[in-house]
Amino acid sequence: MSASEQNQSPVTQDSTPNNTTHFGYKTIDKEDKVSMVAGVFHSVAKQYDVMNDLMSFGVHRLWKRFTIDASGVRPGNKVLDLAGGTGDLTAKFSQLVGKDGKVILADINSSMLNVGRDKLRDKGLVQNIEYVQANAQYLPFEDNTFDIVTIAFGLRNVTDKDMALRSIYRVLKPGGRLLVLEFSKPEHELLNKAYDFYSFNILPKIGELVAKDGDSYQYLAESIRMHPDQDTLKTMMDNAGFEQTSFKNLTGGVVALHKGYKF
Amino acid sequence: MTTAFSKITSGLMASQALASALEIAINKTLALSTANVSLEKSIQKTITIELAELGFPLSFTVCNTIENPKIMVTALTDRADCTINTSISTLRELKAEQQLTELIKQDKLDLTGDIKVAQQFASLAQNLDIDWQTELANHIGDIPTHKLMQLGKRVSAKVRFAVKQINADAGEYIVHEKRLVVTSSQIEQFNQQVVEVSKQVDALEQRISKLVNHKANH
Repeated sequence: MSASEQNQSPVTQDSTPNNTTHFGYKTIDKEDKVSMVAGVFHSVAKQYDVMNDLMSFGVHRLWKRFTIDASGVRPGNKVLDLAGGTGDLTAKFSQLVGKDGKVILADINSSMLNVGRDKLRDKGLVQNIEYVQANAQYLPFEDNTFDIVTIAFGLRNVTDKDMALRSIYRVLKPGGRLLVLEFSKPEHELLNKAYDFYSFNILPKIGELVAKDGDSYQYLAESIRMHPDQDTLKTMMDNAGFEQTSFKNLTGGVVALHKGYKF
Repeated sequence: MTTAFSKITSGLMASQALASALEIAINKTLALSTANVSLEKSIQKTITIELAELGFPLSFTVCNTIENPKIMVTALTDRADCTINTSISTLRELKAEQQLTELIKQDKLDLTGDIKVAQQFASLAQNLDIDWQTELANHIGDIPTHKLMQLGKRVSAKVRFAVKQINADAGEYIVHEKRLVVTSSQIEQFNQQVVEVSKQVDALEQRISKLVNHKANH
């Protein structure tokens, strides 16, 4: 089943009509979003890591470390790194779960998955990692499979976020937890303005210069603004069935880590 | 105060930044060590160190990759095989494996969990042996390294001499010029006087009690 064929959900979100959704600031047909997002990531996959370091001044590494620290991962755990891209979280989880554990690096985009697989193999991380091309809305795993599911900088690209959250809830074991690391709304107005200026004026230029693709980084900035804020995402997680949901703002709310449990 | 500090460090992700720096430094050091450092028996073992000064824990886990084991530093606490609560100054003393029990006895260090894990990590730190001269020579060449080492030795000798001199001068100034502290001979003399007075008081006490007894008998 192709990504666009999978993406036929009737569930609404982001206050758009039933058959439409957002692609950055544009309103598009739901069935077009997967292929349009795929286009973005096919284009940036090879420069993804370099761009992450440039765009965040390397701070994305600390955000990801924070996620690992909040995960409570233990040896033998089974972890799903959803929208795992180039495998930063997978690399760390793989070492922490040990040989008795397992990490599944899943991404809807084959280019990102290929870059991730090559990178992890080059690091000598092979023994407990599997690679799966999957849509977060239709996870191809049995119920109650994972101790931990993470989705870092991926949820905002998903067409139907509510459906994805329900799908994640289904594959989590009772006692398991979901960690959503995603761009969010800065806490202070001044920071918000500076962040807006940076996102819409500097970011696309860096993208143009380094990845030769300013449009994709324009989409990145727009998609961040269209993503639900901290409280809205928390409510969405509650609605999907997660319990004890909470979030922690990082770097003044530029990024937030949401956490919820399945009991 | 500690809570406020923890809040600030948490907001700035200080624990993650420190963990990241430590992880790089430790694994670089392990790679440079010429001694045969074996991590195999500690694979997936975690030691958590809670330093009083920091306000957040640091966990060191030995992880296995296909190339060689490495140490990951995280702030994960619930997977610790052994947890040590101590201070930075005590941590410096914890170079030798044997020091561990000594420091526990002195209440300078609180250890919970498997002491063997702590001993394995202490022994690992003890066995590290890095030939800095060879490492430097690989980067800048033999002659510059030799010159640099000689310069280093000269500077270090001068610094040691300067420190000794400053200590002596400062001592002289505090003791003789400002008279803020006394010399050891003065303390000795004072102690001797205290002992003398104490003896005299004892003798007087005995004399008084004799007189009191004598009066009571008559």
